[in-house]
This record gives sequence, structure tokens and C-alpha cells, in this order.
Amino acid sequence: MHFDPVLFAQQLVNGLSLGGIYALIALGYTMVYGIIELINFAHGDVYTLGTFFSLAILTLLGVTGVVTGPMLIVVVAVTIFGAMILCGLTGVIIERLAYRRLRNAPKLAPLITAIGMSFILENLMLYWKGPSPIPFPAVIPNPEFTLGAVTIQAKQVMVILLAIVLMVVLQAFVYNTKLGKAMRATAQDKDAAQLMGIDINTTIALTFLIGSALAGAAGFVSGVYYGSTWFFNGFGAGLKAFTAAVLGGIGNLAGAMLGGFLIGLIEAMTTQFIGDQWSNVVVFSVLVIVLIFRPSGLLGEALPNKV
Amino acid sequence: MRLSVPQAILAVALAASLSACTSSGSSSSSSASSGASGGTIKIGVDLPVSGADASIGLPTQNGAVLAVEEANQNGFAGGKFKLDTSLLDDAVQGKHDPAAGAQNVKTFISDSAVLAMVGPFNSNVAKSEIPLTNDAGLAQISPSNTNDGLTIGEDAKKLRTAHPDVNSYFRVCTRDAKQGAALAQVASDRLKLKKIFVIDDNETYGKGLADVFDASFRQLGGTVLGHEHITANQVDFKALLTKIKAQNPDAVFFGGNTSTGGGLIRRQMADVGLGKTPFLGGDGISDDEFEKQAGDSANGSYMTVASPDATKLPSAKSFVDAYKARFKSDVGPYSANAYTAAKIEIAAFEKAIADNGGKMPTRGDVLKYIAATKEFESPIGKVGFDANGDTTSPVLSLLNVRGGKKVVIDVIQLKS
Repeated sequence: MHFDPVLFAQQLVNGLSLGGIYALIALGYTMVYGIIELINFAHGDVYTLGTFFSLAILTLLGVTGVVTGPMLIVVVAVTIFGAMILCGLTGVIIERLAYRRLRNAPKLAPLITAIGMSFILENLMLYWKGPSPIPFPAVIPNPEFTLGAVTIQAKQVMVILLAIVLMVVLQAFVYNTKLGKAMRATAQDKDAAQLMGIDINTTIALTFLIGSALAGAAGFVSGVYYGSTWFFNGFGAGLKAFTAAVLGGIGNLAGAMLGGFLIGLIEAMTTQFIGDQWSNVVVFSVLVIVLIFRPSGLLGEALPNKV
Repeated sequence: MRLSVPQAILAVALAASLSACTSSGSSSSSSASSGASGGTIKIGVDLPVSGADASIGLPTQNGAVLAVEEANQNGFAGGKFKLDTSLLDDAVQGKHDPAAGAQNVKTFISDSAVLAMVGPFNSNVAKSEIPLTNDAGLAQISPSNTNDGLTIGEDAKKLRTAHPDVNSYFRVCTRDAKQGAALAQVASDRLKLKKIFVIDDNETYGKGLADVFDASFRQLGGTVLGHEHITANQVDFKALLTKIKAQNPDAVFFGGNTSTGGGLIRRQMADVGLGKTPFLGGDGISDDEFEKQAGDSANGSYMTVASPDATKLPSAKSFVDAYKARFKSDVGPYSANAYTAAKIEIAAFEKAIADNGGKMPTRGDVLKYIAATKEFESPIGKVGFDANGDTTSPVLSLLNVRGGKKVVIDVIQLKS
């Protein structure tokens, strides 16, 4: 097949949009792992729950299609913040009910609990909305921009921008605020942090709140982007996002972002140049190869050194 | 713990995929009455009746239930025996599942009152069930499996693991070699399409149908721009569709089901500017779920159903009316097929009972009479089985989605 630069650029946009969604989910994985070294497998399902919450809020607002004018800002703001708050609370509740009690248990116990939570959430969503993909209202007008011969949809720009903005905000929060400092201290040494007067229960709960809220935002964005949602979405997306976090260096916010975009790009390019059925094979092969040469991911783990 | 991250991914992925394969438990009441004169005879019905497949599976199940209820009202076997159904679901987490189907068949086999079964709906489920029914000598008639390898050639022989010379599997619908070829004919002659891109879901049914379509369309002089396979649970098709759009196809063909990606692909075609390009598929996307998932983009899709359209056939009028009166809803694309399958089995029960001096017949007797079915009067016309277990009167209906609804635009009679 001859190389077509326009098509390549078009696939770049597709890959970055898909990667933006992975990146938003990966941020939550990486934050939780960074602070308590738990792979929160329920996180992918919290993301799906985000689309379900968004859909419920949109239904309450009576939105069934594209919204225009000033109402658009109101609808988007209410939905996205609503979904973020509800998902954030879900994350906090999961942490409080399931993970907190197991904080000092062997690592395998919370991991299995996380898988259990994932199944519980999936089945709750199955019960709530049924097993078929559900249409999601378009909400945002979707003009297309043409950049040379490449077509970019407004939805795609939204996904990519939102992922970058939220990552930057999060980075600033973790490294420039007192609460962020408390999170880093807790990640470094829970006992010492506690002795220094940091309430580690609150700090860990805050981590789950923020991580899950980001999944809520990702949920809204993916609902708008794909125009549909499905109770089982979180399994595949969660696995890819987790892979993104590992690829970039788990615990590292910028790494999660980089990993997310990379995996989206690898998937799109595999589909274009090799074949759609090979996309998962290539993604995980790249992961294995990267881990062989850089066991702590592309940007390295951001975990503080433990003595 | 840091080095164990990749192992953890593998462990978790494995655990999750294993648990996705476990089947839901099913209960059965076994009423052993072998050898007695009188008692209960059951038809085991295995179909996907929950989840994404329910919109097509449930009306199919209703067809079989109606046949049994009518037989009881009309004094089945002189009133000495009571007919019953054992209804099981082979969908796990909302989707047909070969492991669940096999489990259900084991349940039927262990229930001595089950003398024949109707099902399954999906070809990959049939592949896991045929070795079991072949071993047990339990006759099964599928209302809707269309994959060729279930009845034809080496593939079919391999499925008959216990008794290679005995066939226990029959179907009243048209197989994919005929469905795929007919779709290629429609695409080339009726719709005048020249360049088509083919996608399939890499399942037994979807890939089989797509391969036949691919080969037949080339034979008719058409161009197949490419043939891609999607993966299970995939939701993002934009990269694939962007690649397809760059080749300017006249149409996109999809071999697969709505639940394995058909609806979402059609919906996302609009996102990459293929919304006006015709979308073709087989009976896998003929359920109502397709329009729901594809939304406004569903219009301009063509699909076949591997059976005649019951609502248009004079022979099916009384069945369609009885179905409406009983279930307060319209018949599904495969309701009449399941009704016919159950009717054929009931007729075989009666002959076997008469043969056995009014006593409970064996599964072997029933199988013998089902295999010998010829010119059986049914809502879908005169049905018989050839030596492979295929119907001797293959028929297809051609549907087109217009204004968000499917319309039957043709009924195609094929050579057997």
C-alpha cells in the first residue's frame, strides 16, 4: 500500500482522540497506584459509570440532541460536574467500604477485592440500563474543521484538549498545593506522614475522589464522542488505560498522559497499516518490549524512593 | 511489588476472561418416566434470551413455546402424554456464549424427559453443542444457524465426534453459502455496486458469511477493496472506517451480529463521512436492536433473513395471528422457524410413541423420525431435511432500512 500523508494525519487525529480518553482514565489508575500501590481494577467501571451518570443527568435536563447557544455551556457544565461529583463519591465509597480495611493486608487481597468491585459495578450497570449499547445524545454541535485535507471534528478537539488541561491542572495540584504535598508525603511513607500530622485517611480518600472524578469527566466525553455507551465498556477501556499507565511509568501523571496518547496512536496506526484485528496484539507487544528495556515505564515511576 | 506489575496485568486479564467464560447456573426438574405409558415429554429450547441478543432470541423462543402449547390443546398423542418445554438461556452478560450453550445441552441430556431440542441461535454456540448432542443421540433443530461448517464437509464431520456417521443436527433456515452468495448477487445485480469493503467479527457465523460474500462478489466481477476482522468488545471503529473511506467504497459489508459490532459500526460510519454509503449484512443484523444502536444512520442498510418473511406468507397467516394473540407482540424474524422446528419434533414424538405401542419412546426413535422429515407442511412452506440435516427448501428475505424501520423488499427462493 502506498503511503498517503493525508490519511496518516487523519489517523493521527483518530489515534489522539482515542488516546485522550485512555489518558483521562489512566490518570486515575496512576494516582491511586502512586499513593497506595493498588491497581484499582474497578476504575474502568467507574469510568463507564461516568457515562451512565452523564446520561441520567442529561435525561433529567431533558436533553436529547444537540444544544446550542448559552444553554450549551450550562448543560455541559452541569453534566460534566455532576458526573465528576457522582463518580468521585463512588470512588470514595468504594475506598471506604472495600479498600481501607485491607490497607495493611497482603497486596493480593486488595487486588482481588478490586476485581470484585469491578464485577459488582458492571452488574449494577447491567441491571440499571440493560445489556445493550445505549444511545447517548450528541449534546455538542460538531462542526468539522479542515486543516489542509485533514478533517477534524469539534468532538475530537474537545477530547484531546480536555485530557491535556486536566493533566496540567492535576500536576499543578499535586506539586503546588498543601493537599498535594500531603498526598506526596503519604505516598512516600504513610506512618511518617501520619506522625507529621497528616490525616492519611482523608488524603487517600481525596486521591480516590480526584481520580474517580476524572473518570467521570472521561465518561461524559466518551459518551459524546461515540454517541453510545455500554455497561461492559469499562473492561476494555480500563485494561488499555491501565496499560497506558504502566507504559508511561505507573505513578507518573505525565507518563499516564503520554502512555494514553501512545496507545491510541498505536491502535489507529495498526488498523491503518496492518489490520484492525492486530491492534491489541501490537499494543501489548509494545508494552512487553518497553517493559523489558525500561521496567519502570517510559518516564519512570514517580514514586519517591523508600528507604 | 514493582516488578510484578506486568505479571499483575496478565493475572488480572486472565482472571477476568476466565470468569467471563463461566456459565450461569441453570436448574432443571428431571422427571424420569422412561418406559412408562404416559408422562411428560419435554423439548429443550436453548436460545439467547437476555441481553443484546434478546430482541431476536425471545420472539424465537416464543415460537417454540407456541407450538408446544398448541399441541397440548389439540390432544398430543391422544392425551396420554403431556408436552412441556425446558427453556434455557445461553447468553452470558448479555451475549450468546458457546460455553453456556454447552452447559445447557448437558442439562437437557441429563433430563431423561427431554427427547429433542430446539436451538441454538448462533453458529459458534452450535459448534460447542453438536459434539454433545451427537454423543447423546439427542436430536436438535436450529431455527437460525447459517454457518456452512455445521452441516457440510470436513468441518461438520469433525463436530460429530462420538458417532461420525450419525447426524443429530438439523436446521430449517438457509445456510451461509447460499445467503452470502445471494447477498453478493443482490449487491452486484440489484444495487449495481462495484467496489465493496468487507468487515467481519471473526466469529464462526460472521467470518463464514463474510468469506462467502467476499468470494462470490469477486466472482460476479465486483471489487473487494479489503477484508478486515474486528476484535471482541471493540467500540472504536473510527480508525478502521477512516481507512475504508480513503478507498471510496460503494458499500460496506459486515459479517456478524448487531451485538458483535454491527450497530456501532453503522453509527460511526456517519462520523467519518460514510453515512450515505450503503451498509450490507446478513441475518445477524436483522434484529430491532440494529436500528436502536445505529440511530439515524441505520437508514440505507440492507440485510437478509435466512427464512421467508412470515408476515408476507399466506401459509403463515394463522401462525402469525395465533402468535399475536398469545404474546401480544409481532413475530420476530425467526419465530416461524422455531415454531416449525418444534412442530417437526412434536410430529416425530407422536410417530415414535405410536411405534412404541403408546409407551415413552427413546431419543433414538425420535431422531430417526426427525431425520426422515419430508414435505412437512409448516408456516414457512414445505420443509424437509437432506442427508446433511439442511433444509430442502432454502428461502431468503431481503430487507432495507427506510425511515428508521426495516421493510421487506424481496423474498428470494433458492435452489437446494
